[in-house]
Amino acid sequence: MHIAKLTRRLIWLALALTATGCNTIGVKPWQREILARPAMALNAYPVDAAIDDHIYFSKEGASGGRSFGGGGCGCN
Amino acid sequence: MQLKPANPQLRRGLMAASCALLGGTAAQAQTAAGEDQSWQVDAGLLYYKENAGRLRTIEPVVSLKKDFGDQRVLDGTFVLDTLSGATPNGAIPSRKPQTFASPSSTSLTPRAGAKTTLYTIAPGNLPQDPHFHEQRAAGDLDWSQPIGIDNTLSFGGHLSTEHDFNSAAVNAAVSHDLNAKNTTLSAGFNEEYDQIHARGGDPIPATDYTLLERERAQTKNVAGALLGVTQVMSRNWIAQLNYAYDRSQGYLTDPYRILSVVDGSGSVTGYRYESRPDTRVRQSLYWDNKVALGPTVLDVSYRRGKDDWSVTSDTVDVHLRIDVGRDMYLEPHVRWYRQSAADFYHLYAIQEVPLPTYMSADPRLAAFTATTIGFKFGVKLAHTGELSLRLEEYQQKPADRSSPLSQLQGLDLNPGVKAAIVQIAWRQDF
Repeated sequence: MHIAKLTRRLIWLALALTATGCNTIGVKPWQREILARPAMALNAYPVDAAIDDHIYFSKEGASGGRSFGGGGCGCN
Repeated sequence: MQLKPANPQLRRGLMAASCALLGGTAAQAQTAAGEDQSWQVDAGLLYYKENAGRLRTIEPVVSLKKDFGDQRVLDGTFVLDTLSGATPNGAIPSRKPQTFASPSSTSLTPRAGAKTTLYTIAPGNLPQDPHFHEQRAAGDLDWSQPIGIDNTLSFGGHLSTEHDFNSAAVNAAVSHDLNAKNTTLSAGFNEEYDQIHARGGDPIPATDYTLLERERAQTKNVAGALLGVTQVMSRNWIAQLNYAYDRSQGYLTDPYRILSVVDGSGSVTGYRYESRPDTRVRQSLYWDNKVALGPTVLDVSYRRGKDDWSVTSDTVDVHLRIDVGRDMYLEPHVRWYRQSAADFYHLYAIQEVPLPTYMSADPRLAAFTATTIGFKFGVKLAHTGELSLRLEEYQQKPADRSSPLSQLQGLDLNPGVKAAIVQIAWRQDF
């Protein structure tokens, strides 16, 4: 699928999720005990992530996505 | 009755749960849980080694995080890289010996006043500069704090320096929580400025290699934006969706890469410096999911990328964290990556055909698939510490590595790369 088309659809999906609110998706404040576990953080090991981003930035044609990607390196 | 001293881990767990009850996001709950700890230290040491005598890297990384309370956090990361070994120069193997000059050379033939460091590649071997050595120091500093109700502001900077490359960048982002903090919307921008001053000067793109035409230091800049949505899907599932856009402008050519020029039979007749367009626009969609399956945590992400050099890519990354007893965990990791070639990528250029304006034989712009397979093993230390070991293997398999030309038949023109990744890491709260 063309990326612009996919992006538009995902933005509409995100807006729809936002509009429908927590009635359909999400949890009540007292239901967060699993989400509060350190291993459930989206970037639980930032040093691992930074090292991976650097390795793949220097070996592949694409980078980033999770955050501002790679960069800051001559990487020959 | 004697009361036992409070268990710190239990106390932090209860604090995290309390914060969760107050409606913070998972990340905020963690921050609140660590409020009674002034510092968090993450230290890692990476050892990266490629096959066939190619690149070796030793990279210590230290990350310090200071929590000032009220979700005001200062985060700094410092990296030192030492790289050595051989690196492909972009030329293809040949039936005859090939001689090249190291980048610092000013002449291909020894003469008075000229610096000449040559290396010769045996027939059939991939041309690689054996004298590669580089050191890099880099640092990031980031600050985040709440602004108003349900909003967070973060901003930071990055500095990096190498013998032949300097980089400086700034970034800023805002995020907004809504839907009882089940949804977080974020938007950020990044501006990077780089200076490229290759040994001996930056080559003039597409010029004849034997002329060693160089120019003064060149620059490039990268401007990027990132939009993200983080959504709590259920009690055990959190998802993140990011859209990233960046535009690079300036000297995007790799100053150390050349391209073989061959005749109709495939015999090498000369070399050219590579040449890339001076702009590049990249876009990506990144979708990450964390799902708790009992005590096990599954992390699955997918990234789709494309750019106006015709490089499209797909990346699937899967981690499965499995608790082993109370204090240890094992985390198998599989990553699969695929990319198409840049529209100006060529294994070599043909002498009889007019040379294209843009051309590169950089393997990073070729079509290939890559896999990473490995695992991480972690042990919890007393007082919220952790020690871990990561072992992985990375392998690239190029799609295009041969030629029908008679002199090149049987030669592996782009053998790909295989690398071992070893990382030890230590985390401690103080």
